[in-house]
Amino acid sequence: MKPIQVNLTINDREYHLNSLPNRTLLSVLREDLGLTGTKEGCGAGECGACVVLMDGEPVNSCLVLIGQADGHRVQTIEGLSKNGQPHPLQKAFVEDGAVQCGFCTPGMIMASKALLDKNDHPSEEEIREALAGNICRCTGYTKIVQAVQDAAEELRHE
Amino acid sequence: MQEFDFQSPQTLDEVFQCLAAPGAHLIAGGTDVIPRMRAGIFPAAQLIDLNRVEALRYIREEDGGIRLGALTTYAEILRSPLLAQFASALGAATRRVASPMARQRGTLGGNLANASPAADSVPPLLVLDSWVRLAGPHGMRELPLTEFFRGPGKTVLAPDEIIESIFFHKHAPSWGFGYEKLGPRQGMTISILSAAAALELGTDGRIKAVRIALGAAAPTPVRCPRAEQALLGHLPAAPAWQSAAENLSVDISPIDDVRASGEYRRKAAGVLVTRALQSAAESAQRSAAQ
Repeated sequence: MKPIQVNLTINDREYHLNSLPNRTLLSVLREDLGLTGTKEGCGAGECGACVVLMDGEPVNSCLVLIGQADGHRVQTIEGLSKNGQPHPLQKAFVEDGAVQCGFCTPGMIMASKALLDKNDHPSEEEIREALAGNICRCTGYTKIVQAVQDAAEELRHE
Repeated sequence: MQEFDFQSPQTLDEVFQCLAAPGAHLIAGGTDVIPRMRAGIFPAAQLIDLNRVEALRYIREEDGGIRLGALTTYAEILRSPLLAQFASALGAATRRVASPMARQRGTLGGNLANASPAADSVPPLLVLDSWVRLAGPHGMRELPLTEFFRGPGKTVLAPDEIIESIFFHKHAPSWGFGYEKLGPRQGMTISILSAAAALELGTDGRIKAVRIALGAAAPTPVRCPRAEQALLGHLPAAPAWQSAAENLSVDISPIDDVRASGEYRRKAAGVLVTRALQSAAESAQRSAAQ
């Protein structure tokens, strides 16, 4: 198996990596770069715990081979805060109690960010559609939807 | 994950060169291939990533129709005003595909090549009377989508061929389209059954032409010629839908699996087809009234 050269931008920082090709973007983020905010749940694109943004769009990082991320711009949960201040979505998830065990939270927040970047006033149905691929097993969807609505409101006033 | 060498060609000629190597397999969005590799059931020694082949990524108007490059993603289908106007059933099916993340990566060509009997994009493409264009080192060939699938996971693609594009004609406003999907929830669901219908109403208000397709009701997604035949010349109303539903049993051969029994699928098929036909008829009547 020949290693491949991969150049990509993660949270506005450029990386030049030499990697074996049978790695996923998720495993490189977590194991090589120490960005463990992104979680591995099912490893098959069913649960959404590993969602990151690639060129601004939400993807399951467990279903992106590292070679397929070459040349792309990736944003993870670690890249959301500004000047040490949490992003409005992060704040709203904490304040609304939209976090129980927390394992699904980074994926929920990144999928929500992809929605709010395009739609600053989503309906409840639009939020539920945007989060259809993110599973919470502590059953916290009501508060998660509320948190996304609250974050949207704060972002509109920013 | 299993070991493989990774190639990312940029042109079709480079793809064909890579594909000539022993153990070479293609990957596009990866939503099917990667889980299968992780499960150890996708033996690729060489993995050829198509994502840099820009010649396969387009949506364009051509000869009174629309041609979609094989790399067109579900997200791109939903963003296209052209498809919103001329392929509403494809849009309706696409909105029900998995999750926004899977729609971002998953491609039309991948959905066809994977050849699942439940492939979501296929029933709408079948009722649009689509053709699929295959490209190989010795040229292109084009065939009706009805002739592309050979069974679960099986297609007519030769080992050195790839899917280049899908084509369908634009339909006149006298046509209407409908789509229905049955599953335990709206999102993240593999279809228990899916149905698409297209019908054209004559000036007398009767059914002049009709196409019905079902997913997850046979070894491949299928057109339903017997049910279609039963509708021609009838008024678009309950008695016609009922005779279509009764004739479906000849067109389909659903199996028992983890998602539902064959018997349930047989009953549900009539209901789903009736709903798809009803909404196709309503959309044809609405555009006739405009």
